[in-house]
Amino acid sequence: MSENILDVIDLSVEIPTRHNILKPVDGLNFNIKRGEILGVVGESGAGKSMAGNAIIGLLERPAHIADGEIWLNKKRIDNLPAESMRKIRGKEIGMIFQDPLTSLNPLLPIGEQLTETIIEHLKISKKEALDRAITLLEEVRIPAATQRINAYPHQFSGGMRQRVVIALALAAEPSLVIADEPTTALDVSVQAQIISVLKKICKERGTAIMLITHDMGVIAESADRVAVMYSGQIVEIGKTYNIIKKPRHPYTVGLMGSIPALKGDNERLVQIPGSMPRLNNIPPGCSFHPRCEKAFEPCYNKRPLLSKIGDSKVACWLYDEGYKNG
Amino acid sequence: MASKNILVKVNSLTRIFDVSKPWLNRILEREKKQFLRAVDDVSFSIIEGESFALVGESGSGKSTVAKMVVGLLDPTKGSIIIDNIDISDKNKKEELRKLRAEIQMIFQDPFASLNPRWRVDKIIAEPLKSFKLEKSEKQISARVDELLSLVGLDASDGRKFPHEFSGGQRQRICIARALASKPKFIVCDEPTSALDVSVQAQILNLMRDLQDEFGLTFLFISHDLSVVRHMANHVGVMYLGRIVEIANPKVLFENPQHPYTRMLLDAIPDLEMSNKERKPIEGEIPNPIDPPSGCTFHPRCPYADEECKIKIPAPINIKGIMVACHGVARGRIPAKQ
Ligand SMILES: Nc1ncnc2c1ncn2[C@@H]1O[C@H](COP(=O)(O)OP(=O)(O)OP(=O)(O)O)[C@@H](O)[C@H]1O
Ligand SMILES: Nc1ncnc2c1ncn2[C@@H]1O[C@H](COP(=O)(O)OP(=O)(O)OP(=O)(O)O)[C@@H](O)[C@H]1O
Ligand code: SF4
Ligand code: SF4
Ligand SMILES: [Mg+2]
Ligand SMILES: [Mg+2]
Repeated sequence: MSENILDVIDLSVEIPTRHNILKPVDGLNFNIKRGEILGVVGESGAGKSMAGNAIIGLLERPAHIADGEIWLNKKRIDNLPAESMRKIRGKEIGMIFQDPLTSLNPLLPIGEQLTETIIEHLKISKKEALDRAITLLEEVRIPAATQRINAYPHQFSGGMRQRVVIALALAAEPSLVIADEPTTALDVSVQAQIISVLKKICKERGTAIMLITHDMGVIAESADRVAVMYSGQIVEIGKTYNIIKKPRHPYTVGLMGSIPALKGDNERLVQIPGSMPRLNNIPPGCSFHPRCEKAFEPCYNKRPLLSKIGDSKVACWLYDEGYKNG
Repeated sequence: MASKNILVKVNSLTRIFDVSKPWLNRILEREKKQFLRAVDDVSFSIIEGESFALVGESGSGKSTVAKMVVGLLDPTKGSIIIDNIDISDKNKKEELRKLRAEIQMIFQDPFASLNPRWRVDKIIAEPLKSFKLEKSEKQISARVDELLSLVGLDASDGRKFPHEFSGGQRQRICIARALASKPKFIVCDEPTSALDVSVQAQILNLMRDLQDEFGLTFLFISHDLSVVRHMANHVGVMYLGRIVEIANPKVLFENPQHPYTRMLLDAIPDLEMSNKERKPIEGEIPNPIDPPSGCTFHPRCPYADEECKIKIPAPINIKGIMVACHGVARGRIPAKQ
């Protein structure tokens, strides 16, 4: 049994507004082990980024953690002062965002950005840091890294920039990397390169990775386990194969059916009617019930909790022993 | 089956952009003018009632083709014939005016393409008014209600503003507006790329239903190969401004000919979870301002030889597949296992 790098317990994020309190993240429970990639999927607005930002302590006010605990390497981090959290970011948790340009300084050569980060966190000499920067660039498969160390971000293509961001995120050898849509803005060929780099570092260094994306294909290629989010909650979590091939929650079933296939006949796509509820209008009970064709009596007012079904965990009354047989 | 009537014919379409620095900078820095061939010698035709898709990576020239086909951008070279009318023929003003109502476009970003200050009913009525398709206000409003229900919205939604809708609903509004002028031909540039898969499924199903109902012809642009496979009767694969292969999607996915098509298909993450070991993808898309000589794919192609470096491959036809590759022409490319 490998150890947990990240433990998230009952995590809730709230945004107070003039009229009410919004809950973009509502009672999340999950963990990520050493060397494991956990995929987090769900429609736009499901709360994926909010959850990621809560873990790295980058929620933008007025959003804040209202409940729950976050443990990194058996150390509680959700209640740390901002200054200690700033030190953890970059050193113990690396971050990769969708747009590589937000993480890179356009005016600095990439080598300088890398060595700066390395020196800040690792306390090694400039020379050692430079060697390390080159190794990192090689590790993320930047060709001719030694020659390119003095190049500026704009001299790189989109895919190469994203690889530099990955190198930057890895600079201090963090034990956890949170990657929020790292391949969404990229072409498939470049996407494939990024995924292979992420898998490689995960395997070789034992880094735990939280991979946020809405692309099931990316998940299928890389994640060990998947958490499916719907309106701020995890509705199903389990091994990637089970989630993709044997989805249990009606939302996961719909999500999987709506993806056009690459093989076989061009059947009509499965359609989940309607769209995700707005935060100020979350339905009571199971928040998926207005879109669920299986909805029945308990769904309208009782919230289903994640419970173990086979290898997975599912939050749906259909699988509840008490209701199963009517 | 009805006779196969070609509705859209694109011949040797080329578009060159001048991307030079300003004149003074050029003089001071002793630089030549720079040109970018965004679209280079592209030809295809679309049969009435069918969908032709263009796929390719970012910057391959898909949107530039789309803009020329709907008349938003003039070609540098080549011609576009829609419903037997050459759309650059300035002598046919009256025919062109009529034709314009028959061609509509749907864009990627459903929010940017809707006027935020207009109510939805006004947005949808706009083409009815500008093409003078309905006479009285009453007829217009009846038609708007009909269009809203056609795309799965409610007549009462007409009184709302775009920001009150989700992304998928906004794309439905765009589709309703596009259908207002009873077009024959709709150009869709990444119509679902900004949407979630579940919402994408709603929109793709809707587009197929509308096509069946009204016999619409689509030029469908996407970088998502699974979407293209689902929607198209024929697929053209673009690389650096040129079409390298045209085939029907089944053939293209099962038996891709061109080395670039193969690479692209290999790169798609698949849900089969077959755990196949992937070949790492070679290289990056070259700089379009200074593209490689000959076949522009040659620096990344495992089958490139001397001929590929000097000669642009001409398209050839094999069993209904159009492919532009020396390797394929000379039987040098092994069959796909
Ligand atoms: N400052 C804010 N005030 C109110 N609501 C907000 C604020 N920031 C985010 N939200 C809402 O919080 C919810 C969760 O947003 P989040 O960005 O986490 O979604 P996501 O799952 O990452 O979606 P995407 O796939 O689009 O990135 C959304 O409904 C969003 O509209
Ligand atoms: N107005 C313009 N001026 C100069 N260059 C342009 C212009 N419009 C497009 N280009 C260039 O032409 C090439 C093709 O662009 P186009 O937008 O057609 O690509 P695309 O295939 O639609 O890509 P994407 O998938 O990113 O939308 C690109 O290299 C682009 O930078
Ligand atoms: S709990 Fe009820 S409404 Fe929710 S997903 Fe399960 S069956 Fe559907
Ligand atoms: S023409 Fe030559 S370089 Fe181009 S794809 Fe064919 S074999 Fe490869
Ligand atoms: Mg997000
Ligand atoms: Mg485009």
